Amino acid sequence: MKDAADQLDQLLTVGAMPTARPKLALRGVSRHFGAVQALAKVDLGIAEGEFVTLIGPSGCGKSTLFNIVAGLLEPDAGGEVLLDGVATSLLGKVAFMPQRDLLLPWRNVLDNAILAAEVEGRPKREARETARAMAADFGLKGFESHYPQQLSGGMRQRVALMRTFMFDRDLMLLDEPFGALDALTRAMMQRWLLDIWSRYRRTILFITHDIDEAIFLGDRVVVMSARPGSIKLERRIELPRPRDPALLTTPAFNAIKRELLDAVEEESLKTFAAGAA
Amino acid sequence: MNAALARGLGGGVLLLVLWEAVVRLAQVPPWILPPPSGIVATTWLVRSALLDAGAMTLFEAVTGYGIGAALGLVLAMLLALATPVRKLVLPMVVVVNSVPVAAYAPLALLWFGTGALSKIVMVAFIVGFTVFLNALDGLLRVDPAAVALLRSFGAGPLGVLWRLRLPTALPAIMVGLRVSTVRSMIVAIVTEMLGSQKGLGWTIFEAVLQIDFLRVWAAILVASLISLGCFAAVSALERRVVFWR
Amino acid sequence: MALLRLAVPLLLLAALWEGAVALLHISPFYLPPLRQVLGSIYAFGPAYAQAFLVTLGEATVGFVAGALVGVVSAAAFHHARWLRDMLFPLFIASQTVPVIAFGAIVVLWFGNTLLAKAAIAFYLTFFPVTVNALAGVEAVDPRQVALLRSFGASRRDIWWKLLLPSALPRIFTALRLSAGLALAGAIVGEWFGASIGVGAMLLAALFNEQVVAMWAAILAAAAVGGTIFGVVALVEARLVFWRDEL
Repeated sequence: MKDAADQLDQLLTVGAMPTARPKLALRGVSRHFGAVQALAKVDLGIAEGEFVTLIGPSGCGKSTLFNIVAGLLEPDAGGEVLLDGVATSLLGKVAFMPQRDLLLPWRNVLDNAILAAEVEGRPKREARETARAMAADFGLKGFESHYPQQLSGGMRQRVALMRTFMFDRDLMLLDEPFGALDALTRAMMQRWLLDIWSRYRRTILFITHDIDEAIFLGDRVVVMSARPGSIKLERRIELPRPRDPALLTTPAFNAIKRELLDAVEEESLKTFAAGAA
Repeated sequence: MNAALARGLGGGVLLLVLWEAVVRLAQVPPWILPPPSGIVATTWLVRSALLDAGAMTLFEAVTGYGIGAALGLVLAMLLALATPVRKLVLPMVVVVNSVPVAAYAPLALLWFGTGALSKIVMVAFIVGFTVFLNALDGLLRVDPAAVALLRSFGAGPLGVLWRLRLPTALPAIMVGLRVSTVRSMIVAIVTEMLGSQKGLGWTIFEAVLQIDFLRVWAAILVASLISLGCFAAVSALERRVVFWR
Repeated sequence: MALLRLAVPLLLLAALWEGAVALLHISPFYLPPLRQVLGSIYAFGPAYAQAFLVTLGEATVGFVAGALVGVVSAAAFHHARWLRDMLFPLFIASQTVPVIAFGAIVVLWFGNTLLAKAAIAFYLTFFPVTVNALAGVEAVDPRQVALLRSFGASRRDIWWKLLLPSALPRIFTALRLSAGLALAGAIVGEWFGASIGVGAMLLAALFNEQVVAMWAAILAAAAVGGTIFGVVALVEARLVFWRDEL
């Protein structure tokens, strides 16, 4: 009888903690380019529905890591990338948003948003209907027929994000999506992204240069080391959600920032010294 | 030897071998398509006549090229400086240029006779147009901010032309000059075919009349070699001048 | 507005022509008055119309074939590096061959048909299109390709949805140049024994030393060139509406 209760308990525990099997798991992922080692044994897990932000000094192999998770690059032999516990080719399984919006100038807002869906073979009309319904959420209502050239930087970025969301995958990879925006637009986009995320509830891996952004957005911040890149530090951010800009000036926020800054600066100095040598 | 070069040479050799094989195996009569070996042999046979003719055509092409390039360049610089004149003249130039140069060849023959002059004029005409349009495009495609910066240093229009516009336009000018090399040979030959007593175009015309198609091919071979040589020379110059590309 | 931009230089040129002839007393041997040239075209209207249509047909067939072959070659060269290494030098070499010299041989091959002139027009057209289409395809941002690949796009998807549209502006630049080259090819092709067409008219005028007829034929050539060019520009305006820089 006791055994059965134990078993039941275990089952319940598993059921209550979906994080036991991560959405995405990297195990000992390394990558060389010729003689240069970009990544060294990266281990990283991301739970279902988690928002993980990744920071690191420039040239730490962030983009290499990113391209591996997007399925555009293969890791060196020995490393594993598991999606839902299965090692498969990730190409077409991850919704990926690069730094630049990469909108096609000959497609209007709707048609840019449905690009991924179209590639998947969804009928254009149906995809357009979905996009039209989503446009309001992405602050693009009334701009459906505009061309990218006619939009502001923030709006273009929202079109690119909508395209990423329409590529209906559980895992989203965002590579400094707000890097090119001015500070005010960027702050607004961050809050807006959190809002969208809480509504659509996807697992997000978000790369950034900006420590404030990393803390403000993430459930967890991952700091990468200087090249060859590996995980230097993982810091859970237990700040309450929904988060608002006032958070940025609280002592709790600053304490976390101090801690992360130290780690990032140490790594940046290594890169700098290596560059000077 | 790198792989690209090897493949390129391989492609050329393959083409020649295929050509030779097809002509021999299918027994294509030479007046339809002679084998490459036959063309080379004929070229060697009539080499002195072809050399004379080639020298004549090359002379016309080079002289016309020099005159045309200089005129085109100077005109482009003048129009780059004079904005109001440019806005008036440029559309008219485009209209005149929309007629293929070949169509003007009969006029040139009528006006300047069947000697070298009509060919030189025609070559200068097409080279001048090509260089002019390319150069003007390059001269005007300058970052306005860079112009403003130079002017803030006290540079006048001439200073801007010399220090900014010309260097910026150099790649475009060189492209115009490179494209013009082949065109100058073609135009010289075309004009010769219409009326002359010398040159490769005349050789081709004569050979066609005598139904000596091997000699036509031989003349084409010589013309192509000269064109290729000029093209390679100007391309080499381009790489030296526009080293930053 | 576009019509005005076209009409103004034409009218200016016409005025310049008439004015120069009258004021500078230019001999009609060099430049007969425009009125006289237009009058001659009007007098032989049907003949000029026929020549216009014949030459337009020859140039258009060669032009369209050249454009298609140019784009297809660029696609093939882009996908197969070895093919490009092997054939591209030959393409370049082919352009240094004075194709016009081939006129006689091409006419020998095809007879005195539309195909003979179209073949010459084709030979002059395909190369600029190949070069520009290839340059356009190669200029596409690799990150853009990576993005489409991350969506699971096939090579075919990437070609039709990204590479070809991206290359369109440059392809049209080449097409505008090729329009003139195709016409030149058709005209010169007619010099080898054709009896109808703008080129044939030019030659006849030269043999008869008729300056007025020569200028009339040049105007007819301009009309053919303008027609092809105009159609290309119209299609370009429809297809490449999104092109931001000139």
